[in-house]
Amino acid sequence: MSPRSAVAAWAAFAAAAVALPFATTNTFLLHVCILVFMWTVLGAAWNVLGGFAGQVSFGHAALFGIGAYTTIILFLKAGVAPWWGLWIGGVAAALFSVPVGLICFRLRGPYFSLATLAVAELAKLVALNWEWATNGPVGFLITTLPALRVLGHAVDWERKTPFYLLAALLMAVALASTAWLRRSRLGAYLVAIREDEDAAEAVGIDTARSKVLTLALSGFLAGVGGGFYAFYFRYVDPDAVLNIGLSMEMVFIAMVGGLGTVGGPLIGAVFLTTIAELVRERFQVGHLIFYGLFMMLVIRFLPEGIWGRARLLLAALRARMERHGAA
Amino acid sequence: METFVQSLVSGVLTGALYAMIGIGLTIVFGVMRIINLAHGEMVMLGMFAAFWSQRLWGVDPFVSILAWAPAMFALGMILYRFLLRRIIPGGELNTLLYTAGLSLLVANLALFAWTGDYRTIALSYGLTPMRPFGIAVPPALAIGFVLAAAITGALWLFLGRTDMGRAIRATSQNREAAVLMGIDVERVAAVAFGLGTALAGAAGVLLAPSLYLYPTVGELLIVKCFVIVVLGGLGSVPGAIAGGILLGVVESLGAVYVSTTYKDGLGYVMFLLVLLYRPSGLFGVGKS
Amino acid sequence: MALLEVEGLTRFFGGLRAVGNLSFSVAEGEILGLIGPNGAGKTTVFNLVTGFVRPSQGSIRLDGRSVVGLKPHAVAHRGIARTFQIVKPFPGLSVRENVTLAAFLRHRARADAEAAATRVLERLGLAHRAPTLASQLTLMDQKRLEMAKALATEPRVLLLDEPMGGLNPSEVDAASEMVRGIRQGGVTVVLVEHVMKAIMRISDRVVVMNHGEKIADGPPAQVVQDAAVIAAYFGKRAA
Repeated sequence: MSPRSAVAAWAAFAAAAVALPFATTNTFLLHVCILVFMWTVLGAAWNVLGGFAGQVSFGHAALFGIGAYTTIILFLKAGVAPWWGLWIGGVAAALFSVPVGLICFRLRGPYFSLATLAVAELAKLVALNWEWATNGPVGFLITTLPALRVLGHAVDWERKTPFYLLAALLMAVALASTAWLRRSRLGAYLVAIREDEDAAEAVGIDTARSKVLTLALSGFLAGVGGGFYAFYFRYVDPDAVLNIGLSMEMVFIAMVGGLGTVGGPLIGAVFLTTIAELVRERFQVGHLIFYGLFMMLVIRFLPEGIWGRARLLLAALRARMERHGAA
Repeated sequence: METFVQSLVSGVLTGALYAMIGIGLTIVFGVMRIINLAHGEMVMLGMFAAFWSQRLWGVDPFVSILAWAPAMFALGMILYRFLLRRIIPGGELNTLLYTAGLSLLVANLALFAWTGDYRTIALSYGLTPMRPFGIAVPPALAIGFVLAAAITGALWLFLGRTDMGRAIRATSQNREAAVLMGIDVERVAAVAFGLGTALAGAAGVLLAPSLYLYPTVGELLIVKCFVIVVLGGLGSVPGAIAGGILLGVVESLGAVYVSTTYKDGLGYVMFLLVLLYRPSGLFGVGKS
Repeated sequence: MALLEVEGLTRFFGGLRAVGNLSFSVAEGEILGLIGPNGAGKTTVFNLVTGFVRPSQGSIRLDGRSVVGLKPHAVAHRGIARTFQIVKPFPGLSVRENVTLAAFLRHRARADAEAAATRVLERLGLAHRAPTLASQLTLMDQKRLEMAKALATEPRVLLLDEPMGGLNPSEVDAASEMVRGIRQGGVTVVLVEHVMKAIMRISDRVVVMNHGEKIADGPPAQVVQDAAVIAAYFGKRAA
C-alpha cells in the first residue's frame, strides 16, 4: 500500500472507531469491540517479539499478568487510579522482561521458547503461593472505581464508552509503536538478526541489546494490556491472568493476523474474538478447539497470515494495474 | 531414613514412566529436529484410552496396552504423513507453532468430549501396597515400572539390532550422510514419529492407574518432558532415561523435604539452570 | 606502533590446540597475506581477532587498545571488519538493504546510511544490482556483497577470509584489483587465501601458519623459498 493511501485508510478507520460508541447503544457490540482492541494490543505485543525479532515466546502471559497485578495492587493498596496504573503496569512488565530476557536470550530457537514457558509457569506458581503479595488463588477484586471528570462531565464507569475509548487509545499506541519499529533502525536490525545472527554481529549489530530492547517494548505493551484487563474486568487472579492459554492466544492472534505486519494483530484479534463469540453462542465451551484448528490451517495454507497474504495480493494487484496503465 | 528411601523408590518408579515419555520426544527430535508440543496430548490420549477401555469393556489397563501401543504408533505415522510432512519444510518456527496448534486442538477436543472432571482408574488389586523390604509400593506403579522397563529394553534392542533401528540412529546422527547411504529418511521419519507417539501413548496407559486423569494434563506433562530431555540431552535416549529418573527423584524428594506446592517449581528451576549452563544436557550429549 | 598487533595468541578446543603462541603485526596501509595448509588455524585466527571466539591466552590490540573479550559487534565498532569464507549475506534482503544495515553502524539516520551504502556499492561495482535479492546473486557478486557489507562499517582493518574461493582466473584478477582498491581507500587488509597467484601479487608481506603456529613471516618472494614453508606444503622431502 502506498504510504498516503495507508494513512488515509487508518485515519478513516480511526474516525469510525471513535464515532461508534456515540452512534450505538448496543452494549454487547461495544463489549466485543473492547475485547478486540485489547487483544490487538496483546497480539501486537507478541508480534513485536515474535514477528519482528523472530523470538517465539510461550510465556507472554507472565508479562500480561504482571501488568494486571501491578495495576490492581497499586489501586487497591496505594489508591493509584487504574488509568494511570496501567501504564505503570506496562513499565513493570518491561522491567521484569529485561533480566529475564538477558538470561533467556542466551538460548536460541526452541530452547528459548521452552525457557519462556518455564518462566511463565514459575510466575504462575509464585502468584499462587506468595499470598502476602498476590492474595494467592483468591486474587483481587475492585468494587468501586474512583470518580473522574473529563471535560466537565463525570465519567460513568458503568457504561462501556469510557472503556471503549481507552481501549481504542491503547490499541492506537500499540499499532503506532509497531509501525515505528518497522521503519526504525532497530526494526532493520531485527530483520538482520532473523536472517543471520552471526552476520548481523559481524556488521556491528549489538544483537543482545536489540533483542532486549524489543522484548522491553513487547513487555510494555503486554503489561499495558494486562493493566487494562484489571481495570475493565476488575478482577485478577492467577488463573485468569497467568494461564498458558493466554500466551497461546497471543501467539494465535499474531500468527493468524500476519507476523511482522502492523495491521495483522488487529485482523487476528477480530478473528479470534469472532470465533470465541460464535462458539460461545453455539457450544458454550470449546473455542480453543477452533484456535488450535485455525492455527494449524493458517500455518499450512497461509503462513504469512491473513493480513500478510492480503498485503501480498494488494501489491500484486497494484503491480498488474501499473503494467496495464503503462501499456 | 525410611522416608528417604521410600520417596527415593517412589521417585525412581514414577521417573521411569516419565522417562518413557521423554524417550518418545527425544527420538522425534533426534531424527527430525522438531520439538513436538503435542507430545503431552499423546500421553493424555493413552491415559484416556486405558480409562475408557476399562470403563466400557472391563479391560485391565496393563493388558490394553497391547492394543493401544500399536494404535498410537499408527496414529503417529498418520499424523506425520498427512499433517506434519508438509509443514516441516516451512522451518522450525512454523513447525513448533503448528504442533502448538495441534496440542490446543487435541486437548480441547478431549475436554469437550470428556469434560474436565478428574477421573481415576480403580484396580481391584491396586489397593493394598506391596511391601518389598518394608517399602510401600503401590502395585499399579510397580507393574507400570516393570512394563516400562520391558518396553524400554525392547526399544533398545530395536534401535541396536534391527535395520530400521540402525537407520533411525544414523538419520539422527547425520541426516545427509544417511541419505547418501541410501536410507529412506522419509520412511525413517514416519517410523520415528510413530514410535515417539506410541511411547507417549504407552506411557499414558501405564501411568493412568497411578494419576488423576483430565484432558489438559498434557500441559503439565509437556513441560516435565522438556525438563527431562534437556537434562538428558536432546536426542539422546539414555539421556532421557537418566533425565526422567532424575526428575522423578527430585520431585519426590522435593515434595517431602522442601514443599509439595513448589515441587513442580523445582523442576522448572532445574530446567532453566540446565538450559543456561549446560544446554547440551548434564551428560553433554545433546544436539543443538 | 603497528595498527593491529597479535601476541602469544593461543586457543584450545578441548584437547586440540588450534592456534599456538601466534604473534604477528600489521602496519597501517599494509596488505598482509595469511597462508598455510588446510587446518593450520587461519580462520580460527580471524574468529579470535573479531571476537567470535575468545582466546585461551594472548593479546590482540588495535591501535594499542586490547579487543580481547569484546563481542563481535563491539569489535566491528572499534574498526575491525571481516568477511566469511562461506559468504553470509542476509539472503531475503536486497543488496542495498544488506549494505545499509552495515552502514547503520556509523550512520544512525536511514537516509545517511542508505547514501553511504550506495557509495560503497558504486565503488565495488554492485550499484546496478542494488534491488536484487542477495540470494539471487552470482557467486562473484555475492563475494562483492560480502566485501561491501564489511566496508560499509568503515573499518580500519578488513579481514578477508578466502575471498577468491570458487572464482575463475579472470574473476580472481578482478577480486585482486578490488583488494588493491580497498587498500588505496585507506583500509588495512589481512587476507587469508589459498590462490597463491593472488597472494603473491598483492601482499606486501606474508605470514605462514602450520598446525596453529607461525612458521614464516616476510615478503612473499622470500617466504615462498623458506624451507619450513615448503616442507609444510609439500612434505619434508621436497624442502
